[in-house]
Amino acid sequence: MKAIRKFQLYKHATEDENVVKLCGELDLSAATYLTAELNPLVKETERTLTLDLKDITYIDSTGIGIFVSVLKARSAMNAAFRLVNTPAPIQRLFDMTGVSRFLAVSPQ
Amino acid sequence: MNPFVCLTIPAQAEYLDIVRLTLYGFATKAGYTFEEIEDMKVAVAEACNNAILHAYGTADSGTIELRLESGEEGMTISVKDHGQSFVFPENAVVPALLEQTEISEVTVGGLGLFLMEALMDDVQVRSYDGSGTEIVLTKRLSRKEEMA
Repeated sequence: MKAIRKFQLYKHATEDENVVKLCGELDLSAATYLTAELNPLVKETERTLTLDLKDITYIDSTGIGIFVSVLKARSAMNAAFRLVNTPAPIQRLFDMTGVSRFLAVSPQ
Repeated sequence: MNPFVCLTIPAQAEYLDIVRLTLYGFATKAGYTFEEIEDMKVAVAEACNNAILHAYGTADSGTIELRLESGEEGMTISVKDHGQSFVFPENAVVPALLEQTEISEVTVGGLGLFLMEALMDDVQVRSYDGSGTEIVLTKRLSRKEEMA
C-alpha cells in the first residue's frame, strides 16, 4: 500500500548544529526512514545533533529505541545530542521508561 | 453481548495507524478518557509491533487479528498472530534503562513489553506451540459509561 506519510522530518544545519524537526506519528512504519536520515548526522561529531519533537503526536518503543541508539553512538564519540520541545505526553513515556535520565530533554 | 470490534490486518507496519484509529474510535464510544485512550494506543501498537517483527519470516504473508471488546470490567484488546511462537520472558521486564547508570550499558530489549505492562492493567501472553501468539491487554474502566 503506497502510504501517505504520517511521519515527516525536516533538517536544518548551521555551523554548529544539525537540527532535525520530527513531525507526526513515530511508529514502526517510520523507523527505517528515520534511521536512514539520522545516520549521516550522527556521524557529524563537530555539530551538535538536536531533535525537535514539538510536532510529534505519537511515540512508542520504536522511537525511544532509536533515540537511545543515537544517544549511545553520540556518547561514545563524545558528541552532543539533545531533544528539545518535548510534548508532555511524550515526556511522560520517557520518564516511565527511565530514558529521561540519559537524554538532555527540554520540555515544550 | 458486550460491544466489540474485530479487525484483521497484514502483519505490516503500514497498518499500525489504522489499528490506532480503530482503537480510538471504539474506546471513545466506550467512554474512556483521553489519557486512557492514548495509553491503549501505545499498548496495542506495541503488541502489533511484536507480531510484525517476530511472527512471520520474510514471506510477508501473515496476518494479525485484533479484537476489541468493552465490558463491565473494562476494555479487552486481543492481538493474535499465527506465526512462529515468540518466547516472552516470564516476569515483568524492567528495562535496562531504569537500572543502568551508564548509557554504554543500556539496551532497549523488552521495552515494548515493559510499556504494555506499564500502560495497561493486565497483560497476558499466550503461546500456541508453533502456531502463533496471542497478547491480551486489559484496561479497567475507571468510570462507568454506556456504549452509545
